[in-house]
Amino acid sequence: MRFSAYLKDRLPAIIIFVVSLLLSLIFLRAYHVITEALAVLCVILTAGAFSVFLWDYLRKKPFYDKLQNCINELDQKYLISEMVTSPDFLEGRILADVLKDCDHSMCDNVALHRREAAEFREYIEIWVHEVKLPVGGLQLMCHNDGNSKYSEQLKRIDDYIENVLYYARSRNAEKDYIIKKTSLKRAFIDTAIRYREELQERGIALSTENLDMDIMTDAKWLGFIFSQLMGNSMKYEATEITVTAEETPDSISLRFRDNGIGIPESDLPYIFEKSFTGENGRTHTRSTGMGLYIVSMLCQKLGHSVSAKSVQGEYTEIIISFGKNDFLDVQ
Amino acid sequence: MKKILIIEDDAVLSEELCTLLKNSGYEASRVTDFETTADQMRSSDADLILLDINLPFTGGETLLQEFRKTSDKSVIMLTSRTTEIDEVLSMSYGADDYITKPYNPTILLLRVSAVLKRLERSGSAKVMYQDAEVSGVKGTLTRNGNEMILTKNEMIIFQLLLDRRGEIVTRDDLMTTLWDNNEFVNDNALSVNVSRLRGKLAELGFEDAIETRKKQGYVLR
Repeated sequence: MRFSAYLKDRLPAIIIFVVSLLLSLIFLRAYHVITEALAVLCVILTAGAFSVFLWDYLRKKPFYDKLQNCINELDQKYLISEMVTSPDFLEGRILADVLKDCDHSMCDNVALHRREAAEFREYIEIWVHEVKLPVGGLQLMCHNDGNSKYSEQLKRIDDYIENVLYYARSRNAEKDYIIKKTSLKRAFIDTAIRYREELQERGIALSTENLDMDIMTDAKWLGFIFSQLMGNSMKYEATEITVTAEETPDSISLRFRDNGIGIPESDLPYIFEKSFTGENGRTHTRSTGMGLYIVSMLCQKLGHSVSAKSVQGEYTEIIISFGKNDFLDVQ
Repeated sequence: MKKILIIEDDAVLSEELCTLLKNSGYEASRVTDFETTADQMRSSDADLILLDINLPFTGGETLLQEFRKTSDKSVIMLTSRTTEIDEVLSMSYGADDYITKPYNPTILLLRVSAVLKRLERSGSAKVMYQDAEVSGVKGTLTRNGNEMILTKNEMIIFQLLLDRRGEIVTRDDLMTTLWDNNEFVNDNALSVNVSRLRGKLAELGFEDAIETRKKQGYVLR
């Protein structure tokens, strides 16, 4: 709070003071009070008024300065009420009290929503586990009756269910994964087998190179990531999928490359964003724009980094890099 | 015939599992009364137990922990819980494997036979096909001093056929097993591999060892 700004704010008061001073001078002059006396009166009153303003300014300045400083520096602005100490002037006290009340009510509200979100997520988890029973039952029935016609649709249902589950997990603040030594090859093979029928139906050839490595990750989450990438390759007309791994001193990079329709350069920076569908999503099969978003959220939680490269009409390559951490690498 | 005990409280799943296993040449039985699951587990003469985690009365994890105190029989956990934490926990309680619902039938059978095979392998010595010695490590078939080298794919196919000798092995089973071994072959490649294997067996004097059952699969005689 600058003094000039403070005075500007008090402009009406200053004008009232000056006008009353002038009127007093005119009134006293009419009674023939001598000029010297009037001058002294002027100086005394002006000095007095100035002192009042200065005193008031100095009293309030530290409080408001601190308030402004805090709000600028705070990461979470709503914590401001925790930083405010009640000052010794009335308006400040009122402000501080109001802020505290505000903060209280907001914290209650946030806690309520957090609890509701957690409950909702828990219910999603339970629901997913429940719905998997009939899906599993149907899948076995199809197999036992030798009827594979329905299997593919069931597989799709199962995939969508997994999407919901992992979306809920990726949004969750709690930790429900474990990072442990995982065979890259095993994780890939498990997913590949799950999608074998679809891959073969579409005549997609898989090849792997150099996957005999252990990485630090959650195997289930990695499996889901693979399934999303494979799903995309199938959706976007790939006929070959090549998965290679590369080791550098501080990380292991996995390249998941297909020869599908690729991604337009203008869309490339946005593919990991929520609900982004882009050109391919419009011109090809309906896309929800959730798959890669969930992938990137999961990677972020697991501490992996994910990026994409593509040339339209040639290839798409998703690169995931797994950090190597000696601390985690305990047997 | 290997015996398998199914402990799964979802009646439909349990029944279908039972049918699946019976169709695949196992003797399967089901637990239907879950108040005495622990006793039934103990008294069962099954070679392998499929154990669900979410069970009424006593949960699968507790059952397994208790069961492990007295028995080292093979147990595969079945669950619809899909976190890695659940899997690690189950394994630490002494499960031999862990399969999540919904089951892919081929994978389920693969895992079941893998666990049972592990059981067998630990005991038996040489693997023989008639009078020929099969060496998975060397990838060879030897008969009367004639050594025939099989490729990795041919060996995988031959071993699966040999494990289930006399039974029909579907192309689906062969394919899944090959994929499980990092060999992502397609339909044509599988046919080529089978016919090469036939040729090699014929060279060793086993003419028509692999019989084709139309629309069903192959049988090793």
